[in-house]
Amino acid sequence: MREVTFGQYFPSNSFVHKMNASIKILIVIAYIVAVFSVKQFHFLGFGICLAFVITVTAVAKVPFLKVLKSLKAIIFFIVFSAVLQLFFNKSGTPLWEGGFITDEGLKSAIFVSVKVSLVVLGASILTLTTSPIELADGIEVLLYPLKIVRFPVHEFALIMSIALRFIPTLMEETDRIIKAQKARGADFDSGNLFKRAKALIPVLIPLLVSSFRSADELADAMDARCYAGSKNRTKFKKSVITWRDLIGLIITAGLVVAVVYCNGFYIFPAVFL
Amino acid sequence: MQIIAKNLSFTYGKQTKAVSVKALNNVNLTIEEGDFFGIIGHTGSGKSTFVQHLNGLIRVNGKEGELRVGEFDLADKKCDLKTLRSKVGMVFQYPEYQLFAETVFEDVAFGLKSFNKDISQSEIELRVAEAITTVGLNYQRIKDKSPFELSGGQKRRVAIAGVIVSRPEVLVLDEPAAGLDPVGKREFLNLLKRLHSSFVKTIIIVSHDMNIISEYCNKVAVFNRGEIALVGTPQEVFADQNKIKELGLEFPLTARLKLALKNKGVEVGGDLTVEGFVTALSKLKEEGKL
Repeated sequence: MREVTFGQYFPSNSFVHKMNASIKILIVIAYIVAVFSVKQFHFLGFGICLAFVITVTAVAKVPFLKVLKSLKAIIFFIVFSAVLQLFFNKSGTPLWEGGFITDEGLKSAIFVSVKVSLVVLGASILTLTTSPIELADGIEVLLYPLKIVRFPVHEFALIMSIALRFIPTLMEETDRIIKAQKARGADFDSGNLFKRAKALIPVLIPLLVSSFRSADELADAMDARCYAGSKNRTKFKKSVITWRDLIGLIITAGLVVAVVYCNGFYIFPAVFL
Repeated sequence: MQIIAKNLSFTYGKQTKAVSVKALNNVNLTIEEGDFFGIIGHTGSGKSTFVQHLNGLIRVNGKEGELRVGEFDLADKKCDLKTLRSKVGMVFQYPEYQLFAETVFEDVAFGLKSFNKDISQSEIELRVAEAITTVGLNYQRIKDKSPFELSGGQKRRVAIAGVIVSRPEVLVLDEPAAGLDPVGKREFLNLLKRLHSSFVKTIIIVSHDMNIISEYCNKVAVFNRGEIALVGTPQEVFADQNKIKELGLEFPLTARLKLALKNKGVEVGGDLTVEGFVTALSKLKEEGKL
């Protein structure tokens, strides 16, 4: 479980790390749109996106392996969608006499896999170069416009950062409870699916109880420091836009233009494919 | 059951070389049956890793040393972990956080049922009643209560009952007195003492509280950076003052008193228990040396 990179910050002091989180989120959104807008079977567009990912990874000084590892988390999804395309795409000509796999099917299986992988790679660079707290702050800034419709932006961002903050704590707690129950003879690895699900009860209930306890303690701690929501609250880290962000935006704009150019100035229909 | 560790090593995160941490390094340790064994050392010294080896929660890699607990060979991949775990009970820090069942009875019976698939209902009732009584609770009054409505001290007792219900021969406790008030602490340790004279033959206790160690343990091992720095009776271990200071450990109260008296020219013998200290002191008085 701990081997999965998705959502794990890789601290460094690079250009990409120093960029503004909100801008990085916008760039990732633009990148994802670019990946999705690559026209069916125009693999050159993917080449451009891949080049972009590789460049950003190199600039961010994140090991390539770390970025690639993020694919581990969704490998099942990739294989699943590829298989679906392989077996159920009936257009095109069969690869062999009487075969049920067509050349179109094979092509679209590869196309879908590459598309999903590229999206995940891009997103994982964001989480590798941006700490969860920065990420939550970045989202908060991006959501400010929603204040007009009375959306509690600050509270929403707070909920997010607390959730992120508690992931490692809960993992640790889970580990501990599993060990304690194992020591009492609990068996998580044998029996059918139903039995295994039932075996998790002695883990899930203490986990639930302890998360309520942590929530209570956190609430008390915040209360003790007079936390009162967003009203009159200033920021320790102000969201500032620097020349780095401008360069990032310009390069991203270049990426989008290049992809659209590859598509033959054809952008929207493919987004929904 | 005798516990023998030979050249035991363990590394966390072996697959990801970048973040691997060597938690145990060539540990050689023998714990005899009947010992009340203390394990001390500061945080991250490998003591928790070591005790988790004892019931196979952390497996011995065949190439990284040997570990035998009674007749069980922990380096053997086919080692019967279930039977081992029923013989080696483990109580973690804040054991009350592992309670989950609807009633105290069900929670205590959990271990029994999982170790012993075809145990009869009457046998279960007998054993659960025994365990709950042993930890000093009223079986009739408490068995149908929800574990979550008990007080902190009671919860901890119920959790311990859930471990000793399988009548382990070895009981391992990781920082068992943490978070208890002084009275609760003393009662708890007396409970351990009582257990030690019943079916539990060996008690291994990991603690930062040197007073507990010197008062109750007959043998102590000091862990430091995954290695055993000192081992012996509390007297022997705490006699090496420089080493203890170097390892960043505290002295038990009795050892500090002895040291202070020694500096004033009064040499007090005896062991490091309060009783031993007092006996030695009153003997000195009788001899007119005080």
